Amino acid sequence: MRTSSLLPKKQEASEIPPPSRRTVKGGYSQPSRARLKFNDLLSKWTFLGPTTLLLLALLAYPIFYTIQISFSELNLATFAPKGWVGWENYKDAITDPGFLNSLKVTGIYLVLALPLQMVLGFGIAYLLNVEWKWRGLVRALFLIPMVVAPVVAGGVWKMLLDPLWGIVNYMLGFVGIGPLNWLGDPNLAMISIVLIDTWRWTPFIVLIASAAMLALPRDVFEAAAVDGARWWHTLIHVSLPLLASAIGAVFVVRWLGAVKMFDIALAATRGGPGQSTNVVNLYIYEEAFRSLKFAESSAMAVIVLVLTMIMTMIFLRTTKKLEDRF
Amino acid sequence: MMNKSGSFFQPSRRAFLGAGVLAAAMLATAACGGPAKESGGVGTAEKPVELRILANDGYAKQWQEQMVPEFNKKFPNIKVTIDGVPYGDQLAKTMLELTAADPTYDIVMADDPWIPQMASTGALLDLKKDAAEWTDAAYDWNDFNSAPLAAGEWEGVQYGVPLRSNMLMMFYNKALYKDAGVPEPTPELTWDDYMSQAPKLVRDTNGDGKDDTWAVGTYFTRDPLTPTVWQTIFNANGGELLDGDNKPAFNNAVGVAALQTHVEMLKYAPPGASTWQFTEPLEAFRQGKTATMFNWGSVYKGTAIDPKTTTLTADQVGIQVMPAGTNSSGAHRGIWSGAIASRGQNTEAAWKLVEWLSSSEGEVWQSNTLGVFPARTSTLDSTPEQAWLSPVFDALKMAYADAETGKMWRPRLTNSDEVQRILADETAVAMANTNDAAKALDDAAAEIEKALTK
Repeated sequence: MRTSSLLPKKQEASEIPPPSRRTVKGGYSQPSRARLKFNDLLSKWTFLGPTTLLLLALLAYPIFYTIQISFSELNLATFAPKGWVGWENYKDAITDPGFLNSLKVTGIYLVLALPLQMVLGFGIAYLLNVEWKWRGLVRALFLIPMVVAPVVAGGVWKMLLDPLWGIVNYMLGFVGIGPLNWLGDPNLAMISIVLIDTWRWTPFIVLIASAAMLALPRDVFEAAAVDGARWWHTLIHVSLPLLASAIGAVFVVRWLGAVKMFDIALAATRGGPGQSTNVVNLYIYEEAFRSLKFAESSAMAVIVLVLTMIMTMIFLRTTKKLEDRF
Repeated sequence: MMNKSGSFFQPSRRAFLGAGVLAAAMLATAACGGPAKESGGVGTAEKPVELRILANDGYAKQWQEQMVPEFNKKFPNIKVTIDGVPYGDQLAKTMLELTAADPTYDIVMADDPWIPQMASTGALLDLKKDAAEWTDAAYDWNDFNSAPLAAGEWEGVQYGVPLRSNMLMMFYNKALYKDAGVPEPTPELTWDDYMSQAPKLVRDTNGDGKDDTWAVGTYFTRDPLTPTVWQTIFNANGGELLDGDNKPAFNNAVGVAALQTHVEMLKYAPPGASTWQFTEPLEAFRQGKTATMFNWGSVYKGTAIDPKTTTLTADQVGIQVMPAGTNSSGAHRGIWSGAIASRGQNTEAAWKLVEWLSSSEGEVWQSNTLGVFPARTSTLDSTPEQAWLSPVFDALKMAYADAETGKMWRPRLTNSDEVQRILADETAVAMANTNDAAKALDDAAAEIEKALTK
């Protein structure tokens, strides 16, 4: 009896399909195309709806609110936008020498950091792909910088690089280098920021590059070996073309991450000495939360967003072209 | 109408809810247009009052652990929670909290230049007027030294009272001065004297061919508090940052000379000092690496008394006003004032805490127990329980007097932080030698003028 209760019940008269269902030859009914389409849409949006709502609330709303503030004056007594000021905040932003300087500083940082991290990341991944004894341990150790918060990384490196108390100058002293004023010299400070950022982000590139390399087809490499290709030729003519799409994707992801870097600079140099490491997001952050110029800083943020989108589109198109080419 | 239970006139759950919402709406409407809000009282054993304070993280924990239990001996039915916020984020967070319809915090701590900005939101209590009915008859407003009290005032209204007074002062290591054969500083020391003595204070004490003690440690990096050093030199030489019309008045020969003096100090500071903010000069001085330090006076206890935080003792550490210019010796005011959110639910209890902590009793307790500087003349003139406080009080009195005479404080404007940040940016540019002092001050003046005319 218990078993029979688990079996599907016989169809009752009340469960006979409604008349809207089309009856086909053979006796059973089939839902109409419109109804099928509706059901399909319903099930799709049942799954998509919550995510869409969340995305709208968490991403779109802040962006639209920032855009709204950028065209308004922010009333500090209510912390709400008041009055439409047109392009006034944008005019202020593009004539602000500090903002323009911060864009330049960000450009320098990106030009130095991104190629270095890409070359190092893929280079290390290439080495980790070769079988050797401690490969697993090294790969695990590489994860450490990734789990350190950027502000902590900046603070710790500030201590390590300190000329009075830091260990880096102490160690360099044994080989006759220094003492170097890592964070106090305007030129060295930018290099120090790039090095700290590289220490933190190269493992991320290594991980993705390793995965991409593991997914490469073995037969092509075997064919290259049979044809007598040297490692250098294999790298240039086989590995890199096959990795082109992965390199492009990693570059775009890293570019988007690097553009918004400010925490390392905040912790290590506070944008100094002078303005030499005052990257654009640090500048915007300070304009907003230190000077309480929320409207102007929103305009700056929108400008940076637009510039980033344009650059990202260019990179994506280039990546697509590379993929098509290889 | 008959409901499910079958009885007439018995309201359903929905009807109850509807009535509740209506009643709440009516109450809210009445509150908006009705009489002034209740002050919340000072609580009872059955129904204690809960206060929240938004303070700086530098002292929030100390207050929570030591000040609150002391306060609760007097007001056991006022429960106090203190949240600490890093200095850099504190103003923005405070402004956001104050402007909320129902603010989380009853008391907010305001650094010296912040009161005008906070008061402009209309969200602070006028302490002399709104809190008058709760004020103890023995609470003497006239007993406050006028310099620290003025930090809590704006446009003739007293919005805050000094709860942690501070002044930028000169610390010196007596042993390092003696070893270098340089006479110990006195309040008569001028900036010219100081700068001429500085090279002698940079020394190689262990004979390894490398310098290991230096003349000075202070703020040099890009930080809103860095300009306070050259501002003090500038003020001591008779300069004022803004003129009577709030126009920049610092880009002149006196201002340039003051900034150059600050930049020049880097030559006699330890390597890497160009990145120093608050902590680094403190650590270097406490480790006996620098002969002098220009820093906030409140660090005296941790620098000269507490063996957990310093290698020095009270006998080794001198404290006095900063060197003199043509007008006076120098100091720079840095008062933390306690202000009360006018939209808070517990304004009376909030005032009771602020009142107690700024009263003679609270000040004496705070000075003796925590080493916090007082603002009352009677406290400064009293004999402190701790002997080391006596010379500190003497220096502090002189610093208050100098600050008041020379108007040695940051600009008091509704956008004071913006002005201070511009000064910090341009000072940093001069400090990094990417601009000369004159150009840096001209640029700062232009930017500030633009900011103030907007």
